[in-house]
Amino acid sequence: MDLQPHTTPSGFKLPSIHSLPPFFSKQENLETLAISLDHWTRLILSYARFKRIFYLRVEDAEVTGGDWDEVLRNTRINRRVRPEYLSFILSQLVAKNLAVYDPIKQDRSVLLYWRTPDEWAEVLHSWATSTGQLNTILTFYEIIEPAVESQLSGIPVAILRKAIAVLAKTARAQSIGVADGEGVRFFATHAR
Amino acid sequence: MYRGCINECGPSWQHAHRASWLLTTTSTPALVFATMNRPGGAGISGLTRLQNATQSYNALSNEISKEQVKNLHVQLAQFRTALQSFAQTHRDKIRKDASFRHAFTIMCANIGVDPLAGGAPGDGILGRGWWGELLGLSDWNLELGVQIVDICVSTRHQNGGLIDMADLLRLLGKLRGTNSSSTTVNEEDVVRAIKTLKPLGAGYEVFPVGGRKMVRNVPRELDADQAVVLSLARETGGRLVESLLSEQSGWTRERAHVALENMALRDGLCWIDDQDEIDGKAYWVVSVLQWNE
Repeated sequence: MDLQPHTTPSGFKLPSIHSLPPFFSKQENLETLAISLDHWTRLILSYARFKRIFYLRVEDAEVTGGDWDEVLRNTRINRRVRPEYLSFILSQLVAKNLAVYDPIKQDRSVLLYWRTPDEWAEVLHSWATSTGQLNTILTFYEIIEPAVESQLSGIPVAILRKAIAVLAKTARAQSIGVADGEGVRFFATHAR
Repeated sequence: MYRGCINECGPSWQHAHRASWLLTTTSTPALVFATMNRPGGAGISGLTRLQNATQSYNALSNEISKEQVKNLHVQLAQFRTALQSFAQTHRDKIRKDASFRHAFTIMCANIGVDPLAGGAPGDGILGRGWWGELLGLSDWNLELGVQIVDICVSTRHQNGGLIDMADLLRLLGKLRGTNSSSTTVNEEDVVRAIKTLKPLGAGYEVFPVGGRKMVRNVPRELDADQAVVLSLARETGGRLVESLLSEQSGWTRERAHVALENMALRDGLCWIDDQDEIDGKAYWVVSVLQWNE
């Protein structure tokens, strides 16, 4: 059998393993399972980055019509990831620090780290610097829904908080409570 | 008694000559005078003596040279033995421990010995194949071996550690650049290089499957049943189910089941598809699949 990569209607290139029927089953041999999970991890994170999707839920394998259909299903070979397997994949993503359960205290929904909080912190700080918003108080709303679309548009508050916490450690940002919720003030990077 | 001595002590003319010389120097004044005038010996007898001395010196010099060469040989032999015994004592470590092997090659380089150097058999203290004999590695094979390992390791996630010889040759060609004929390798080269990998204990092995060759690169033995499964998987394009296998091989369902389960669960050579439309559960032999990226 010849396995070919496949480009989805949205322009994402699925790897050739996505056309292999057993790729959608949970493998019982631990080595094989590790290989399969490795492929799933990369596929999920690169697709999330491509489509700017932040959440993956067990539900995505249960109902059609969601963001993840192109990845969790392959209609050409009539295969899909079953919810139990997706749930296991999510637990592995969390175990590898590539995602966190969000909200906490449940295991059916994860926030994907296709950028780590450290990487988001850098994106955030350089955005504030390049748009001339250092030393002024910004609300979370102004960051998530900026007038001019940025890399941070639509970023979940959970990630934003983590990124600000990273910057606060090096005194490059300070969390501030504002009248209508949370805010932050960024500072220039001082050479130490 | 004197006669006996002459008989015993080598060529008689020498002794006879010496006897006559002693006789003349003591009993004939004229000859004594002549001899005294030409110190160091003159005439026939003097020349002979000089010749004898030169000969003796030459002989002595030859002997000393020979002795020195012999000593050198002994020293070299000792050195070789020492190096060999070192290599033999630490052979396992040299084979297994990459950093130790590195240190060993550095040591060889420091003392001016190249363990991989060529030359005629027995040439120098470390002739061709010394390293090869001792460690089972030689330069070119080693290089090819490294490339084979490279390909096998990087494709293992696709084929479970079992690669088709044709596939391996194709990938080797890609890796080495196929534009010049000097870089192309054939099946025989691969077989030889894989043999040299044996001491590494990585379990690389070439074996036939249904008239074609495959390279196994996981330290696992394949039994006869697995060979049948692999051969059949080639024909089906990878997908196998119990019913088909038992039908084609004449095995009982039980035997077919065990063979497939072993390949999937124990050896990781098959991936299980539990969404198969026809049989519910299918086994996919990943090493026969063609991957295009």
